Amino acid sequence: MTSGPSASASVPTALIAFADSDLCVKCNICTSACPVAAVTEEFPGPKAVGPQAARFREPGQPRLEVALDWCSGCGVCSRVCPHHVPVAEMNIIAKAEAQVTARHALRDWGLARPDEIARWGRPLRRLVGALLESALARRAAEAAVGLARSAPLPRIAPVPLRTLAASRSSATPGPAGPGTAGVVAYFHGCSTNQYEPWLGQTTIRLLGGLGLRVELPPQGCCGLPRQSNRDFAGARRRAWANLASLSAWAEKGIPIVGTSTSCTLALKHEYRAVLGLSGAAAEAVAEATYDLFEFLDLFGYPGNARAMAPVPLRVLYHAPCQLKSHGVGSPALRVLRAIPELELLVSESECCGVAGTYGLKQERYPVACDVGRRLFEQARRSRVDLVLTDSETCRWWVERHSGIPSRHPVEVLAAALGVDVQPPLPTGSPR
Amino acid sequence: MSQSVLIVGCGLAGLTTALMARDRGHRVRLLAEGRGSLSLTHGCIDVWKDGHLPAALETLSAHHPLKRIGAESLIASLEAFLGFTGAADLPYHLPPGRNLRLPSPTGSVHHTAAAPFSLANGSLDTPGVLHLAHIPEIGDFEPALVASGLRRRGYAEVALIELPLPESVRGDRAEPLRIASRLDQAEARQALCRAWSPRLRDVRRLGLPAILGLDASVEAVADVEARLGVTLFEIPTLPPNLPGIRLERALRRLAQAAGVDFVEGASARGEVDGRSQGRRVSGVVAATAAGPRRFPADIVVLATGGALAGGWLGFTSGEVQESVFGLPLEAPSERQQWVREDPYSAQPYARFGLQVDARQRPVDARGRLYFENLYAVGGILGGADRTREGSRQGIDIASAYVAAREIPT
Repeated sequence: MTSGPSASASVPTALIAFADSDLCVKCNICTSACPVAAVTEEFPGPKAVGPQAARFREPGQPRLEVALDWCSGCGVCSRVCPHHVPVAEMNIIAKAEAQVTARHALRDWGLARPDEIARWGRPLRRLVGALLESALARRAAEAAVGLARSAPLPRIAPVPLRTLAASRSSATPGPAGPGTAGVVAYFHGCSTNQYEPWLGQTTIRLLGGLGLRVELPPQGCCGLPRQSNRDFAGARRRAWANLASLSAWAEKGIPIVGTSTSCTLALKHEYRAVLGLSGAAAEAVAEATYDLFEFLDLFGYPGNARAMAPVPLRVLYHAPCQLKSHGVGSPALRVLRAIPELELLVSESECCGVAGTYGLKQERYPVACDVGRRLFEQARRSRVDLVLTDSETCRWWVERHSGIPSRHPVEVLAAALGVDVQPPLPTGSPR
Repeated sequence: MSQSVLIVGCGLAGLTTALMARDRGHRVRLLAEGRGSLSLTHGCIDVWKDGHLPAALETLSAHHPLKRIGAESLIASLEAFLGFTGAADLPYHLPPGRNLRLPSPTGSVHHTAAAPFSLANGSLDTPGVLHLAHIPEIGDFEPALVASGLRRRGYAEVALIELPLPESVRGDRAEPLRIASRLDQAEARQALCRAWSPRLRDVRRLGLPAILGLDASVEAVADVEARLGVTLFEIPTLPPNLPGIRLERALRRLAQAAGVDFVEGASARGEVDGRSQGRRVSGVVAATAAGPRRFPADIVVLATGGALAGGWLGFTSGEVQESVFGLPLEAPSERQQWVREDPYSAQPYARFGLQVDARQRPVDARGRLYFENLYAVGGILGGADRTREGSRQGIDIASAYVAAREIPT
């Protein structure tokens, strides 16, 4: 098994990107699907800054590409490309390699570290929370470091998930149980651990109720926030640390499930396709990783035998971009359709706009709002009780801008299976 | 009992099959490598370029997809398609028993069976002067080329009129996609009409490059027509081309709302059910972000397209294979016979593709079924030269209709 920072020697990603650009036939399918190009003229579209511009990039040569920075990294372009051009991956790599001085280095440094911010900020979490809700403080933060004043930010939870569920924590995989009672490793990500531990608790209870034993392998931030904020070296360190830990589960054939779709995409794809990591650990972990609903759908949970209680809610499901990039469709929809009395509407939008940390940046905030407008309007117009979406940053963003509460689909499934959901789901409004 | 149906490919054939199978109560998943080439097309439904179809069907070989499907199913499929576009607020015009003749962006005459109303209004069979807008900011459309082409073909009453875009509609990038998106908004349409109205005194019918709205095109056309007091029509442009994009979006959203699960960005390899003595397929294995994953299904429908869409692969050994299950296609073993030297003559490779039974299931050269639960629709079907015949979308929709009808419930 390869591990440790010494193995993280940079691969010539620029050369890979250059070769891939030859696959582009300039059909513009990505341009017409790009949610950012649709709302701002600052961005000429993924084809123009991706396979087209790649031909003019010389590894090691400085370059100034302002347009590229408007790419939110949502990944729609790669997904819709009929010719296997990894457009989004090329753009994320080119963005990190561009010799641009970040306008707000301190902010980007902070946004890249959601895990550390929570750990350091926990003793002062009441103060931090109060500041986040103070219009004056947010205005000052916007002026000083460029953190968009109206962008939603999560509150630090009093106790992290790993403390609440300490008994599940294990340094090595335990033995698989007898019969069908299997083991799953839960990759909770730093958001669930530090900001939304109740979501992790619901997930653990739900999996336990389905007869699965849940283990929490040692894990840190997946590294994606660093990758999105140009710190590939930091992202690779996080990645290697996670691979070193998780590969023990993967090599025993234990599925690694996650409720955070961007973190699981990092394990499945970004480590290899963007950060350029290779080796047995990276391959094994990628193959063993599942989005929670992908896992449930593929392995037949909760199964026909288990009666589901009615959940009389009208909900709008929005598949996060990062989930769509898994290439497994919308497994949450497939599972939720079996819930009686749950009225499921489907989002007509490509992207909610926030794209991880993109919409939190003052200079990108208006564009991110415009990208999500159609979704916010659909949510309001259709008078739903909840917007369901699997990614935490999408939930916070959609809730703020649509004014409608947003929850993870696992919480609705848990309610249908009689698992305690905290905080409780709203009761459906009469129609 | 409803079946789990997995459709590979999300062009017109795949989307139409998905909608029709969903209407029949099946659980439908649509899996595709990319978003398909529907958005690159003119957005019209070509069924047969020359003359009246029932008569033309008589002359076709038994291996042609439309010959096997027949006029009755073809007409029923087009009616079903009109139902979908109507439900998606993108109504199409289909004159019974004859083709529409529309101006193409190069000034040739496009013979097509059905078109969205904004294009159908440009019918060359409607008498009177056609005015074509010359919008100097738009580089992807050349009205002088359209006018000279039409005049050469005997349509004398074509006139150009210069209509610059107002600042708020033009923006910094006057690309049709961005302009169309702006014209979804009423304020942009007002600005456009204020600028254009004084220039259109004697104009009855005005042709524009396709820019009138992206997601609200019907509303945009009606609004601009009312404000300007003229009949408007659109002409397709280079890709990204609005009529194709609108149709792709309309059908995809309709399918998503109907509960079709879309898996995008995953290329598929077919999987044969080992317990069936090779008589059935069990789904596909697709390259997902994590690596190969199984997508099991009761029924698999190939809607993978022709040569340009990747539906089949030709090898240097001279073999030609369908790309998901590797089914062999009939082709001359000498590769030089796949193409003719004159690029404008009929190309043999254009007719490569699968032969199917009466239920749209692939069969081998001797007519024997490959798999009981594998179907094929659209461009992967052999025996037709869809470009020369002008039969591309007709084959897509009619074969989708037959396959969806024949999937057992």
